[in-house]
Amino acid sequence: MDLDTKSKEAILNGNISLAEEIARKAILENYDINALIDTLSEAIREAGDLFEEGEFFLPELMRSAEAMKAAMGILTPALSPEKDSRFIAKVIIGTIEGDIHDIGKTLVASMLSAEGFEVYDLGADVPVATFIDKAVEVDAHLICVSALLTTTMVGQKKLIDTLKERNIREKFKVLLGGAPVSKGWVEEIGADGTADNAISAVKLAKKLMML
Amino acid sequence: MRNKKHILDLVKERVVILDGAMGSLLINQGLQIGIPPESWNVTNPEKVQKIHLNYYNAGSDVVLTNTFGGSRLKLSAHNHGERVEEYNIKAVEIAREICPEEGYVAGDVGPSGKFLPPVGKVTLDDFEETFLEQTRTLANAEVDFFFIETMVDLKEAESAVKAAKRTSNLPIFVSITYKKTKRGYFTIMGNSVDQCVNTLRKAGADVIGANCTLSSNEMIDLIPQIRQFTDLPIVAKPNAGKPQLIEGKTVYLTSSKDFAEDIFQMVEKEADIVGGCCGTNPQFIEKIVQRVKR
Repeated sequence: MDLDTKSKEAILNGNISLAEEIARKAILENYDINALIDTLSEAIREAGDLFEEGEFFLPELMRSAEAMKAAMGILTPALSPEKDSRFIAKVIIGTIEGDIHDIGKTLVASMLSAEGFEVYDLGADVPVATFIDKAVEVDAHLICVSALLTTTMVGQKKLIDTLKERNIREKFKVLLGGAPVSKGWVEEIGADGTADNAISAVKLAKKLMML
Repeated sequence: MRNKKHILDLVKERVVILDGAMGSLLINQGLQIGIPPESWNVTNPEKVQKIHLNYYNAGSDVVLTNTFGGSRLKLSAHNHGERVEEYNIKAVEIAREICPEEGYVAGDVGPSGKFLPPVGKVTLDDFEETFLEQTRTLANAEVDFFFIETMVDLKEAESAVKAAKRTSNLPIFVSITYKKTKRGYFTIMGNSVDQCVNTLRKAGADVIGANCTLSSNEMIDLIPQIRQFTDLPIVAKPNAGKPQLIEGKTVYLTSSKDFAEDIFQMVEKEADIVGGCCGTNPQFIEKIVQRVKR
């Protein structure tokens, strides 16, 4: 079986040890690491499609993301800065204050980190100030804010308003997540986008980062 | 002891009507975000009680105690983990005080908000511990039966049913949250209707069904699928559509009349116990009662 097929299998089966083995082998045998990362990305997107189709469920998708993350953990440090410079975008992600819904946010965080983003997952019930302070501290590119309740969505607006007040709105792209979030809400509060699911969220994040 | 029918006997005789949403009505009354609704059993008991009373007056046979998030794991997320007993006992008192002679008080048990690996980090022992504590407290406070609901992970639901079973001999209603996929109804963890029904029956559930996520029209086809796997009574408690934020207000787009019509169709397909989940209110219950009794 060639490496492409094998790596795809490792991701779709959520096989962490196989994913790590492939990553190590690729480095030892001087494979094109960028090409391998692209193959792995394709596999994780396929996992996302299977989730949409109702073939994969949350545990399968999380396992795939974990396998991807494991491989990326080995591959990313091996990229040589001159030759393979891959831009690593930094993401701050969390569920807004007052809201303890965790799943969707965690899934997006896993998928982002599986795709090579440097992810700072602040958890759930995160105050606006904590989002912003952390984003400033690590010099983040993206802030992803989840709200699962129509009552906590106002926190997303508060975050954008606070960024504006502090004159740093333009420093970050802000993505909104959560079942009740609509395109209209994104426009109303001046965010940079939203997506219907974790896979589209990653696509959108990459698009915004021009990756 | 009052001389009223055992709930499972009533279910054999006629359709039993539950209540509707609680949390959103508390928010309308001023519950702030970040505050667990269960804390209002202590700080604003009269407001919680008024909602129960409105449901009984609308025709609910049963109200669910304001203890959906009353487990230690869930309350801990709000740093109220030490108040499990206080909130649960008070919740039962509030409902019992105004429960009509023929009415019932069900001890509501919702999900812990935590997940087993690979999604989260808790263990089955954590589930068991948290549900044993909550169901024991509710049983001691003398609920008429348990209502375990909104479970998205069959393993967590099973753990809650087993805990309730160990706690007392009270009847156990258990309701799973399914989503509709191209391949049919599944939990987000991938549990099928067949797996859910069989596992929960073996664990000791007396009533099995579904609530939340699905709107009333989406839940109609689920009822015969549950029926296919069990003779146990079926409970159905759908949402009033999907929430929308319109001009700063949360709006559910299904009207109480359409909702009641969908519920009636579920009853025709052998749902035995019906009520409402997110987006419903006493008006929905009134409409259900009118439609079902017609």
